[in-house]
Amino acid sequence: MFLQNYWYAAAWSTEVGCTPFARTICNEPVVLYRTQAGSVVAMEDRCCHRRLPLRMGKIVGDNLQCHYHGLTFEPSGRCVKVPGQALVPPNAKVRTYPVKERYGLVWLFLGSAQLADESAIPDYHWITDPDWGAKGAYFHVKAHYLLIVENLLDLTHLAFVHATTIGNSAVVESADVQFKRGPLSVDVRRSMKNSAPPPTYVRAGGFTGNIDRWQFINFVPPGFVRLETGGCDAGREGDPSARRITLRNLNIVTPETETSTHYLWAQCHDFDVRNSKLTEMIFEDVQQAFLQDVTVFEAQQQCIELRPEAPEIDVNGDAGGLQARRIVRELLDLQAARARPIA
Amino acid sequence: MPTWVDAVGFEDVPEGEVKGVKLGDQFVALYRLDGQIYATSDVCTHEFALLSGGWVDHGEIECPLHGTRFRIKDGQCLGPFGHDLHCFQTRVQDGRIEVALLPAERE
Repeated sequence: MFLQNYWYAAAWSTEVGCTPFARTICNEPVVLYRTQAGSVVAMEDRCCHRRLPLRMGKIVGDNLQCHYHGLTFEPSGRCVKVPGQALVPPNAKVRTYPVKERYGLVWLFLGSAQLADESAIPDYHWITDPDWGAKGAYFHVKAHYLLIVENLLDLTHLAFVHATTIGNSAVVESADVQFKRGPLSVDVRRSMKNSAPPPTYVRAGGFTGNIDRWQFINFVPPGFVRLETGGCDAGREGDPSARRITLRNLNIVTPETETSTHYLWAQCHDFDVRNSKLTEMIFEDVQQAFLQDVTVFEAQQQCIELRPEAPEIDVNGDAGGLQARRIVRELLDLQAARARPIA
Repeated sequence: MPTWVDAVGFEDVPEGEVKGVKLGDQFVALYRLDGQIYATSDVCTHEFALLSGGWVDHGEIECPLHGTRFRIKDGQCLGPFGHDLHCFQTRVQDGRIEVALLPAERE
């Protein structure tokens, strides 16, 4: 079960061109393409005739023509042509989804189209803001999306999974951690005073001594996790001559199925923003770390599927992830209750 | 005989919030409710999570992991898991919070 009536990021804008591009979102097969004017169409990836995926078809003008018998669908989803016959059955149409391109991402709205309010797309402006250097990526992950969400809300794993890049033991041992929750959000604020900078911070920020380091993590459902992280010469907060870097790690975690996820993410920095070599270097370090995470997610998923009822225990660091899971569970319960017919 | 052990400044525990401290071997959670300081064990009796990572609401502390609630004034467990919390006496001397610990608790 997935949350309906939310915007989900389906792809990076650069992934979608004038040939059909398919992606399953929350168990719904979707095909994306651009019209000649450049706007993105998101259509059910299933011909209403004999259910061939429309991604196998081709774009004719602004329309998508099915590979099997050539039924042709316009951007609204309506079938406009059935080759070999003069009339088109009135119910020949496929579902289309409200689409919005923003922050370099293609967002689509799953649920009742009349509820699609663009202002509900969460803020990811850092990705396209000229005041930031940024680079993004896409990973296909064979694991449930909440495994990724809880990973991002508990950064104690950095000390173990990412010791060669963004982590070190200070992340666990000397962190002051605060958990805040709202009705529809979780914030985890971690601060590590006077700690050794991790390898990436030394390479990117040029730190030579200890730093005061922070990691602020924000979650909103279904799968939006935005991190602000940074470091400053230890004890010199507010001193304009101190070295200080701020990074944004932005995650858009889109469920594909119950056991797989489209993981879109970007890494942004607020210093030396035109230095593409620096952008690339920071991105590569984080990408290396995230690939280490993907290995973990997929191994967890396999282990979970082997025996789903095997128990888990929770430790202090899980507070953020557990609150995120609680919010999603409560929203799903509410959704199910609303869908139930009144007896 | 309990001994008064210095913990933190009165201002370090804002109204309606919780602050975790370690005094000797003891994990202690300090709270300020209506200007009054209270202290309980900081360890949830269910799975040993630190309660100071949780939330104060209506005179209760909620564990950040599984949501067990305890009444701050007397440590009574309100469920759904665990049992009552140990409570400590407190006093404020010259703007500092002190907690009464038994000799065994100070080891």
